[in-house]
Amino acid sequence: MNRVLMILVAGLFLAAGAKAAGFEARASLPAPALEAQDLKGAPKTLADYRGKVVLLNFWASWCPPCLREMPSMERLREKMAGRPLEIVAVDSAETPEEVSAYLSRMQLGFPVLLDPDGSNTRRWKIFALPTSFLLDAEGRVRYVLTGPTEWDEGEALQVIDSLLAELTSSAK
Amino acid sequence: MGEQRLLWVASEHGRAAPELHAAQKLAAQGVEVWSLDLVNAFFLPQLPGSMDDVPVQDLTDWLQLAQDGGKRVTVLAVARAAVPVLRAAARLDPGRRNRLCVLLMYPNLYTVAEPLAEPAYLEVGDLSGLRVRVLQPRRSAATPWLPGLLDHLALHGAAVSRVILENLREGYWARETPTEFEVAESQRMDAMLLRELDTWRCA
Repeated sequence: MNRVLMILVAGLFLAAGAKAAGFEARASLPAPALEAQDLKGAPKTLADYRGKVVLLNFWASWCPPCLREMPSMERLREKMAGRPLEIVAVDSAETPEEVSAYLSRMQLGFPVLLDPDGSNTRRWKIFALPTSFLLDAEGRVRYVLTGPTEWDEGEALQVIDSLLAELTSSAK
Repeated sequence: MGEQRLLWVASEHGRAAPELHAAQKLAAQGVEVWSLDLVNAFFLPQLPGSMDDVPVQDLTDWLQLAQDGGKRVTVLAVARAAVPVLRAAARLDPGRRNRLCVLLMYPNLYTVAEPLAEPAYLEVGDLSGLRVRVLQPRRSAATPWLPGLLDHLALHGAAVSRVILENLREGYWARETPTEFEVAESQRMDAMLLRELDTWRCA
């Protein structure tokens, strides 16, 4: 007779609490190389965004927290129009077709880059999605965030404003 | 019962109902299944780190007991449960380890996995002679790191191979918002495992 043997011991469940995401400051680390392509096949590197504060976001279309924060990134783009901030979303290890399928449902005004072979994901040491980096105008990593956030409010907005303020003060 | 015995070790999140259903369907097809929920069995919190605290000798004794019946034994360990399973396998004598097959479903062996830092893996012991196959859902942040993980296992002596599970995410059988494909694959998990057991030809 077929049977399933089980160890059934009543357990004490302790649910893992949701830890609030926080920005981790970095001591102006040089950024790894970014060598990606946009959806039209044009090559892109960080040099294309030099002189601006950059929000570099690694995401995937199968990742629900990634998709949840996307609208707030779009609102951030609108809120920061005219200021030297570039939002760049790098899709991690998916095909162009998978990315395009998502973008047909979600209109985004910032560039989305492709990393189909995951080489950028490995170079930036991405182990969880979403993971985001805030780079200063010299292309140095200043903050890292693992997990999603609301980009157009609270701590995220403060951190971005502080980097933009640095840029403004250095221009004076 | 058939000649195969599958030891199904659930992840740090505990045993999910679809896993139990799949185990029952496997049993109906002649595979004897022992289902182990470590967080419940050892009264541990449902956290990855809990798996690192499982008494390894208990698990080693369990593996030996499973092998004593003379059946072909395969262990399936999900997520962080790979850690105690591999450590227990490392404690087996070489003859027993050579006879054991281990399927790891999206194993998590990291000690450090932080942005901009090289990954570091847990020590698992001597895996010489152990045959390990990793089942990795494509839609996982861990997939780009799979080659490094396989190298780590091979460095410890395991004979490694891998299978990519297309269009699936980690824990696809217990997702809050599964895709239609994930729902269908959850219901076919027994068939997927039977296919792996048959095509791998390990045990």
